[in-house]
Amino acid sequence: MIWLTWRQFRLNAASAAVVLAAFSVLLAVTGPHLATLYAGSRIGSCHGGGCGGPADDFLQQLYGNSLTGASSVDGTGAYWLLYLLAILVILGTPAVIGIFWGAPLISSEFEARTHYLVWNQSITRTRWLAVKFALTGLAAIGFTEALSLLYGWWAAPISRAVARGAVTTPLAMNQFSPLVFASHGITPLGYAAFAFALGVTAGVLIRRAIPAMALTLSVFVLLQVAVPLWARPHLFPPERSLTSLSAFADLPDVSVENGSFTVITDGWTREPEGWVLSSETVDLAGQPISSIPAACTRAAQLTGGKGESAGLLNCLSSHGVRIAVTYQPASRYWAFQWTETAIYGALALALAGYCFWRIVRRRFSP
Amino acid sequence: MTAVIETEGLGKRYRQRWALTNCTLSIPAGHVVGLVGPNGAGKTTLLNLAAGMVAPTEGTIEVLGERAAAGPAQLARVGYLAQDAPVYAAMSVADHLRLGAHLNPGWNVEQARGRIERLDLSLGQRAGTLSGGQRAQLALTLALAKRPELLILDEPVASLDPLARREFLQDLMEAVAEQEVSVVLSSHLLSDLERACDYLIVLVDSKVRVAGPVDDLLASHHLLSGPRRHPETLPTGQEVISASHTARQTTLLVRTAGEVLDPDWTVTEVGLEDLVLAYMSDTTTRRGHARQLEVVS
Repeated sequence: MIWLTWRQFRLNAASAAVVLAAFSVLLAVTGPHLATLYAGSRIGSCHGGGCGGPADDFLQQLYGNSLTGASSVDGTGAYWLLYLLAILVILGTPAVIGIFWGAPLISSEFEARTHYLVWNQSITRTRWLAVKFALTGLAAIGFTEALSLLYGWWAAPISRAVARGAVTTPLAMNQFSPLVFASHGITPLGYAAFAFALGVTAGVLIRRAIPAMALTLSVFVLLQVAVPLWARPHLFPPERSLTSLSAFADLPDVSVENGSFTVITDGWTREPEGWVLSSETVDLAGQPISSIPAACTRAAQLTGGKGESAGLLNCLSSHGVRIAVTYQPASRYWAFQWTETAIYGALALALAGYCFWRIVRRRFSP
Repeated sequence: MTAVIETEGLGKRYRQRWALTNCTLSIPAGHVVGLVGPNGAGKTTLLNLAAGMVAPTEGTIEVLGERAAAGPAQLARVGYLAQDAPVYAAMSVADHLRLGAHLNPGWNVEQARGRIERLDLSLGQRAGTLSGGQRAQLALTLALAKRPELLILDEPVASLDPLARREFLQDLMEAVAEQEVSVVLSSHLLSDLERACDYLIVLVDSKVRVAGPVDDLLASHHLLSGPRRHPETLPTGQEVISASHTARQTTLLVRTAGEVLDPDWTVTEVGLEDLVLAYMSDTTTRRGHARQLEVVS
């Protein structure tokens, strides 16, 4: 059965090997230079709040002159393209695996009616399915994890720079931001397992490869959009932190309109690697507040355009207005990684169990 | 005589549709059994149940004394050639032999190789490019080389041209003679099976209309023709299978253990084809007969 599984899988395996090789070469060629650039930056020797600048400089360098539109002479500008490309590859791999490895695994047998042939050899269909499922599934997980590990090694300098407080370039994505979270650590492993099992299940249910592929893609994309938006933030109860307006490194701006005010802050520095879910202004009692307190109406009238709001800010601050931030602490990063991977893994196992039950039960029309 | 397939009240429902209901039969070992019936009679469903491809909705089926597809050992004892002989289109003939060798402990390498050579199939050719006849031969090779005790073939020749049909059946008969194997093969056309089988089962509306060794069937059925008379006036022991009437004459196909002695009848032997057709059209004839009686009264 191992031979047959390999015989049916070898084309897929070959294409996976080609992709993995190309990916490795691309990253192996550029990785050392990226590490050299990082070593040349001052991030390694900075301390605390002084790291934001060097980290930003480093990422700016990778971003090249793309920002200004001039061509980057030394090619460093290509790194951010490579960074995004690699993320897309790692995010897309589970979907591709689900579609091209998972969905046809069983449905193509039904379509070609070859299950009649293989189920009548001296081997139970439980064993047949177990070997096919396990070997192809492990290959799917291994392949995705290999990509993810390679990429993790390559992108480590960028992750470190972001962790040190870089904020200004598009490369400076927080570790919890959907693209980064889903492409780093162990989550790709869970996605691969789930997408593969989803594909197989769709194939077992629909019994035709193309519709099964479409169903796999739709469900997987839906989940990949829905989970970061609605499920992931609630995996653990978020923390809430109150910060005085004057405690911000860069003083916030306040805009005033029709008697209500909005505080604009950038860079909540208390947990640069944490995940800010929401922030709002609250009064002394901790209740949300947006209307200007009576005592500050005069200060508000003096507020003109941007940057002239220091007076109002002081007034609000002295009347107990603070910023309440709801967030997930950075220390929970691995808890999030493990939990989400475990959930996807459990879903994959449940789907696999359903496939076995359905194949072994033999209720369907042949 | 032991039974290779024994069913009791067997039924199979696909969603709302019953493909087979209340089917009770016993197929003895050591025969080449032809399973004949009109399309939709439940032949394929019955054979799929026998191969363990599907599980019964009701009733029981035992194949070689065990539950169908009960385990690797039981699977090894049954060879199944499904309708249209499915094979892996992308795999070569040699790959199929390798598949058989890997998945069957009782695989006979020499036999498989020998058959492929004799059939002039090239080992390197992809199965998807084989002709229908060659594909059927390849599938049969797989089914035979696992050395089964029972070989089940579902409409093995339905999609073959007449020449390929003859070659396939001839080859099958040689293989059967060589290796002691009971065979059950189905067809909706008796002519496909007439030369091959020595035991016949006629399945209509998932019910066994008649079953028995071909010789016995031929010996116990007679075609009677004579002046018009009501079929119910026949002596007991003579069962009317089909009746047709003209204004003056009645023609009956009867089944009887003994001789037909009534001098009014002209008795002729019946061919297998007519016999099977009579059983297949049996239900409709009876309905027509009942209507006729109503008109008379």
